[in-house]
Amino acid sequence: MIKRSFFSLSGPGFNYDTVEPDLKEPTSIPIPPKLILLVNEPVNPGKKALIKAKSKVTKGQKLCLYSESTEYTVSPISGKIKAVESYSDNIGNLSTYIVISDEKDDKSSSKKSKKSSEKSGASDKLKASDKPDDSKESGDPEEISYDLDESLTSADEFLRMLPGAPPLKQLAAGEGKIDTIVISGVDTDLLSTTRQYVTLKFFDELKKGALLLQKISRASKVFLAIPATLNLPETADTLQVIKISEKYPSALPALILKDHLNMILPQGKSPEDLGVCFVSAEAAVSLARAYKAKTAVFEKILTVIGKGGKAYRVKASIGTPLTRVFKALRIQLNDQDRLIIGGPMRGFATYTVHHPVEASMDTVIVQKQTKITEVSDSACINCGKCIQICPAQVPVNMLVRNLEIAKYEEAADFYDLFSCIECGLCTYVCTAQIPIFQHILLGKHKLLNFKADAEIGDCK
Amino acid sequence: MKNIKLTVSHAPFWHDGDSLFRMNLNIMIAALPAVICGLIQFGGPALGVLALSISSAMAWEYIMAILAKKKSDIGKLDTAVIGLLFGMMLPATAPWWLIIIGTFVAVIIGQTIFGGTGANPFNPTLIGMGILMISWKTFFDFNAAYVNYSFDYSHLAPLSAIKQFGASAAADFPITNLIMGQQVGAIGSTFGLGLIIGGIYLILRGYIRWEITLSFIAGIILTALCFNLANPEQYAGPMTHLFSGYTLLGAFFLLPENSSSPVNRIPMLIYGLLAAIMIILMRNIGVYTDGTVLAILLVNLINPIIDTIKPKALGKGASHA
Repeated sequence: MIKRSFFSLSGPGFNYDTVEPDLKEPTSIPIPPKLILLVNEPVNPGKKALIKAKSKVTKGQKLCLYSESTEYTVSPISGKIKAVESYSDNIGNLSTYIVISDEKDDKSSSKKSKKSSEKSGASDKLKASDKPDDSKESGDPEEISYDLDESLTSADEFLRMLPGAPPLKQLAAGEGKIDTIVISGVDTDLLSTTRQYVTLKFFDELKKGALLLQKISRASKVFLAIPATLNLPETADTLQVIKISEKYPSALPALILKDHLNMILPQGKSPEDLGVCFVSAEAAVSLARAYKAKTAVFEKILTVIGKGGKAYRVKASIGTPLTRVFKALRIQLNDQDRLIIGGPMRGFATYTVHHPVEASMDTVIVQKQTKITEVSDSACINCGKCIQICPAQVPVNMLVRNLEIAKYEEAADFYDLFSCIECGLCTYVCTAQIPIFQHILLGKHKLLNFKADAEIGDCK
Repeated sequence: MKNIKLTVSHAPFWHDGDSLFRMNLNIMIAALPAVICGLIQFGGPALGVLALSISSAMAWEYIMAILAKKKSDIGKLDTAVIGLLFGMMLPATAPWWLIIIGTFVAVIIGQTIFGGTGANPFNPTLIGMGILMISWKTFFDFNAAYVNYSFDYSHLAPLSAIKQFGASAAADFPITNLIMGQQVGAIGSTFGLGLIIGGIYLILRGYIRWEITLSFIAGIILTALCFNLANPEQYAGPMTHLFSGYTLLGAFFLLPENSSSPVNRIPMLIYGLLAAIMIILMRNIGVYTDGTVLAILLVNLINPIIDTIKPKALGKGASHA
C-alpha cells in the first residue's frame, strides 16, 4: 500500500502497473471437480425453475434459471447440478450460484427419465447443432457446439459469458447505434496487469477478435487502447491505437472518452449512449477463439496478488472456486483477512473464499488482516483534499454531506452525483476516513432503484 | 479453507494513512516554534495559560460528550488544537477564569452546538476570542498586560502604538525585531519567523491550503501598501502590518481552518484576499487596534456563498446533448 508521502502538497500520484516484459507463463489451475457459476438473476421461488439439483448438464450448455430469463450462464464442464443457491453482492443485488459437479452419470439411477426431461427443458432454447440428448446416450465426451453466424443476436445468444465478459448484451441492445468500439488493453485499476498481458500475449487473436467485433457490430471505428508505456509486438493493422497515460485513473472509460475521443460523457449516461462500446482485450481474444471453435471457451487469465504483494499470473476455468486458486499458489487465508475481487481502488470484497472465477474478473487480491485500513464515522471536516484530487470535478465535500443523510435526489441534482467516474481517489485521501465511495455507490444504486420503481408504477 | 470469516468492506481498500489525529498533531507541532519562543519571552505564566487553555478546551468537549451521551472524540485532538490556538492568542497575564470562559465559548458555542468537528460555520477559536475581546476589553490591552515585565525592546504593542501615534511610531519596531519575536503581544503571535516556519511546514504537508494563505498575505501587503502610499504619515507600511498583531497566526492557523473556509481554488483566493482587506480596513479606519479576529469571523460568514463558485463537473449540463 502506498502511504501518504511526507510532503503532500500535490496529492498522491498513482501510476498503473505495467506488465512484466518477459510475459511469464501463467500457473494453470486444473479444472476442479466442482464448479460454481454465477447467474445475474435472483432466485425466484414463484417461478418454475428450469434447472434443479441433480439435473444433468453438458459442457457448453446454456443455463437459464427460468423459461423467460434473459440472463444465462454456460457450463464449462459436463456433469450434474449439485445446488442452486442465492447470492447477494456487496450492494445487495441478488443473483444465483449454480454449483456443478463433474460426477459421471450413473446409469443405475432410477430417476433417469425425469432428469432427462428436466435437462431438455433447460436446453430448450439452445440452438445447438448436435442434439445433447443423443450424445448423452451414446456416452461420448459431450460438448455442445454452437450454430454461430456473424450477427450480434447470434453472438449474444451464446457468448455473453466468455472470459473477459464481452458486452454483447449492450451491443445487441444498441445495434446500429454503436459506432465506435474501444478494445481496452489497459487495466482500469491498480496492481492489475491482466489486460496488458492478454494484449501482448495473444495479439494475433486480439486482432482477429477486433475484426470480428467490427463485422458483427458494424461499427465504423475500432480503437485499441494500450498504456503509453507498452510497445506492441507488431503493427496493429486496421486498429487505431490510442495510448493511455499511465497516471491513475486515466484508463477509466469516461476519461478515455474525454482525453482521446473528444467526447464528454453526460451525467448518468453510459458510453454506449454515445455510440461507444468498451470491450476488454480478453473478450476480443475469447470471441475470436469461440468463433473458431464454434463453442464457448472458458479459460480466464487472472492477476492474483498475495498477502506480501507478490503478483501471480493464473489461468483458470470460469467457475473455479477461488479457494482452488489459493491452494495452487499456496496462499493461506486466515480469519479477518480481506479477499478483494478487482483492484484496490474499485474492487469489491467478497465474504466467501468459494467465490468463483467470473468472466469479468481480472484481479484477485488477498489483503492481510493487519493491512486493512479503518473507516470512521467522523463528519466531513471540509479539508478539500477530495476536491483537489477528483478527476471529474465533483464537489465531493457537499456531495458526501447530502449522501450521508440520504438526500440522494439533492446529491444528484445539485452536487453532481452522476458525474462521479468511480475511481475511489476521494476516499483514498480522506482525512476523516469517511467511506465516501460507498456512499456514492449506494446513492447511485438507490436512485436507479427509485427510477426503476417509478417506471413500473407508471406502467401500472 | 472451510469457513473462513473474511473481512468485508467497501472499496477503495487502500488509504493514505492520514487521520484527524495526525492532522491535528501536525498543526500542534507546527505551532511549537512560536509557542516555545512565547514561553521563553513571557516565562511561567505563559506556560500556565497554555496548559489551562488546552486542558479546559479538552475538558469542555469531554463534558459535552457525556451530557450528550455520545462517544467522545477527544482523542482526535480537535479541541486540543482549539485550546492551543486560543492560548496562543492570549496575553501571558490572562486570568484563569477568562481562559475557562473563553474555551467554553470556543468549544461549546463555537463548535459543539453546531454539530461538532467539521460542522462549525465559524472558526471556533475566534468565536471564543471574539466574545472575550468584546466582553473584557481590558485584558487584551497588551500595553497594560505586561507592565510588570521588563523587556529590552519597546513595551508598547506595535499595532496600538501605530493606532495612537501614527505611522511614525513604526520606526520603534524594526522589522527584524518583529520577525524575531522582539515585540509585545500574545503568547503565540510574537515570533513571526516561527509562525512562518510552522506555516510552511503545514503547507508542504498538505494540511492547510496554500491558496488561502498566499492570497491573504498578498492582500495584506497590497492593501497596506495602498494606504501607506496614500498617506505615509498616518498609515504604517505593509511589513509592519504583516509581522505584528495576529496577522501571521491568522494567515497560517486561523484563516485556513478547514470547516469555515472554502475548498475550491477561486473561492479560496477571494476568501484570503477579502480577509486581508477587512483586517487592514479595521486597523487603519476602524476602532479596533487589531481587526484579525473580527475580520476572519466576517469572511467565515461569506464562505458558503463564495464556495459555490466551482468548476463544472464532468458531463454536467451535457445530459441533453
